[in-house]
Amino acid sequence: MTTTIGEAIGFWILGPVALAGGLGMVFSRNAVHSALWLVLTMLSLGVIYMLQAAPFLGFTQIIVYTGAIMMLFVFVLMMVGRDASDSVVEVLRGQRVAAAVLGIGLAGLMIGAVAQSVGVPLAAGAPSGSNVGGLGLLVFQRYLLAFELTSALIITGAVGAMVYTFAGRAKSKAITQKERVAERLRGPLEKFGSRSGPGVFATADSVATPALLPDGSVAPESLSAIIEATARERLGHATELSRPGDEHDTAAHSHHAERGEIQGSQT
Amino acid sequence: MGSQSFSDALGVDYGALAPLLIVLGGACVSVLLEAVLPRVRRRSVQLVFSLAVVVVALAAVIIRATSGAGDVVVLAGSLSVDAPGLFLWGTLLALAVPSVLMLADRSVEPGGVFVADPEALAEAQERVGAGSLRSTSSGLPSGTGTDTHGVVGRRGGAGPEPTTPPEMHTEIFPFVLFALGGMLAFSAANDLLTMFVALEVLSLPLYLLCGLARRRRLLSQEAAVKYFLLGAFASAFFLYGVALLYGYAGSVRLADIAASAAGPLRSDALLFAGLALLVVGLMFKASVGPFHTWTPDVYQGAPTPVTAFMAACTKVAAFGAILRVFTVAFGTTALEWRGVLWAVAIASMVIGTVLGITQTDLKRMVAYSSVAHAGFILIGCLAITPAGLSGTLFYLLAYGFTTIAILGLVSLVRSGDGEAGHLSGYAGLAQRSPVVAAALSFCLLALAGVPLTSGFTAKFAVFSAGLADGMAPLVIVGLVCSAIAAFFYLRVIVLMYFSDPAPDGPTVSLPGPMTTVAITLGVAVTLLLGVLPTAALEWAGAGTFLG
Repeated sequence: MTTTIGEAIGFWILGPVALAGGLGMVFSRNAVHSALWLVLTMLSLGVIYMLQAAPFLGFTQIIVYTGAIMMLFVFVLMMVGRDASDSVVEVLRGQRVAAAVLGIGLAGLMIGAVAQSVGVPLAAGAPSGSNVGGLGLLVFQRYLLAFELTSALIITGAVGAMVYTFAGRAKSKAITQKERVAERLRGPLEKFGSRSGPGVFATADSVATPALLPDGSVAPESLSAIIEATARERLGHATELSRPGDEHDTAAHSHHAERGEIQGSQT
Repeated sequence: MGSQSFSDALGVDYGALAPLLIVLGGACVSVLLEAVLPRVRRRSVQLVFSLAVVVVALAAVIIRATSGAGDVVVLAGSLSVDAPGLFLWGTLLALAVPSVLMLADRSVEPGGVFVADPEALAEAQERVGAGSLRSTSSGLPSGTGTDTHGVVGRRGGAGPEPTTPPEMHTEIFPFVLFALGGMLAFSAANDLLTMFVALEVLSLPLYLLCGLARRRRLLSQEAAVKYFLLGAFASAFFLYGVALLYGYAGSVRLADIAASAAGPLRSDALLFAGLALLVVGLMFKASVGPFHTWTPDVYQGAPTPVTAFMAACTKVAAFGAILRVFTVAFGTTALEWRGVLWAVAIASMVIGTVLGITQTDLKRMVAYSSVAHAGFILIGCLAITPAGLSGTLFYLLAYGFTTIAILGLVSLVRSGDGEAGHLSGYAGLAQRSPVVAAALSFCLLALAGVPLTSGFTAKFAVFSAGLADGMAPLVIVGLVCSAIAAFFYLRVIVLMYFSDPAPDGPTVSLPGPMTTVAITLGVAVTLLLGVLPTAALEWAGAGTFLG
């Protein structure tokens, strides 16, 4: 196997870059940074493939991995929350040291094994025909079964994702309008309506509770015409809140504003 | 015709491929059924369909094996359908029948293990207010709500059933079929790439199944996450090994690796580094020795029927692949690497036995026992002789059925909050339920390797093959470990027969027909293979792997 000068230059530039990307991915604390380091590694690998006369593979690497998969990854990270970083507390004592020693040991062994065989000509797979054609033959003849089995994997993944997403989710009961109104009148506006704004003194949130003006009188605008009966009953006075037909007319309410001289005390 | 010549070039032999195609095609149809059928009819249809698929595939294997068709390599050399491969397929499919039955059972736990919404089910039962139904809902420290544990109901004594049958995750049936298809492909794969994809196909559904228990949800999900993360890690090792071996041989086909190893002028460092990494991935799946760390947690956390399926079938598939890799690809270099695997086998036997003694939970004990058994099976794998091959195959068949029966029985012994896993719950079980205690004792004796059970025949076959191949020290370690392991099997038996039951001890549920059939099948095969092992041994020794 011969290596051209251009290929060698490309390798010695891209190799360290890819390695740096890998290390950066492992050591960065921020998950998004990790993902971006990995993008760097994958881009370098893609270019290395192209240098080695495999342009199709190189472009696939860039389009599929850096383009699609890594971006999906980043999307998921953003959705999960960028700050969701791993806990760095050691659960087992000395685990990190042991892991580092063993990891470096394994890396040493692997480097040794690979270095020993660098001098020996590697058995090269026989590339046949064009780049894409060769790949096509491999995928659809030599490794047809593996290719077809992949579909089983994808189906399992899709079904599994759906099962896990919808598992144990109790069917939400549809709330009828009647229940919604009852909930709203009962007061605590957990789900419906809004709470009183800041700076407002309020002892209750119910729609049925009229608002009080600064002098302690009931603000007639706050009395709903729809629940007129309730208001009348609670206020005790034969207050003509609104004439028939004026229910939806806010002007009518303001017209009657001065007539609501009632000591509204709602507890 | 173009397509004709194409399929000839590929070597598509539908007769040989039939079991695999039936199972995988059945899995796809099963997914479609999931989409098409109304919710209430899914479970029965899926159950019948899955069982039919497994049985038809099993019939195809038997027809193929008895028809005298020769060993063939199909699909451009990626799958090898040979005599040991057919035996493995037969074993896998035969073990799948009781597994599917147990997965579908709903009599032991109301709604089954995979009930979709246990809280709604418990509510419905409280509304019905059946007197004999006790429902306990304990607030586990879960943020997701209270886990409602098993509602123990005696069959027959149960009050009126809720009007609509509780829903169940019927997706487990396609998962099981996909896992089974992956196992079939894994044990017959003739090149490492197909083996890797098959490994993933068999693993992914198992990860999913592990986490699907709705009761004791957190344990189950923890098991699934552990299994998934460690499994992904092991797959990476496997893949790295494949890469190194490709660098060495220029091919991922097992026979080509053997041919390269026989040729001169190669750096063996790549070959053995590749083998080492490959073995890590394979041993992980088979839960051998130091790569077993996932086994106890996953066995304990996964729903018991899934544990049974996993313990029996995954072991068969993984050891099938180990046998094939060792025999076909590395048979010629065995002398150089066997020493390391001796150490692995010894570690597996010792770890499984010693840690098995200290367990107080029956499912964890079964898990450690499976680690010890993996060591015994590895002895057979290391003897790269026809005797070793047939002994290992027989061991896998015997062990699978015994394990399924044990886990089926374990699922019957229940206390208020689900399965009574703790050993103390088994005290005096013989007085409560003599039949369950007798069956469990018999299966535990089979695991211990007592004569007249399949365990004895299997151990005898494997150990004698090991002795014949000059592995006497390993066999001695195996015998010592068997003797020690017998202690913790016997401890359970003694507890069941010679202790007084605790007054508030667990009850024994009467199993429904499906679990009964599964357990009976397991016990019967255990007995049969112990008394009349000849036919199975002959089939196991019918041929050798085809490269």
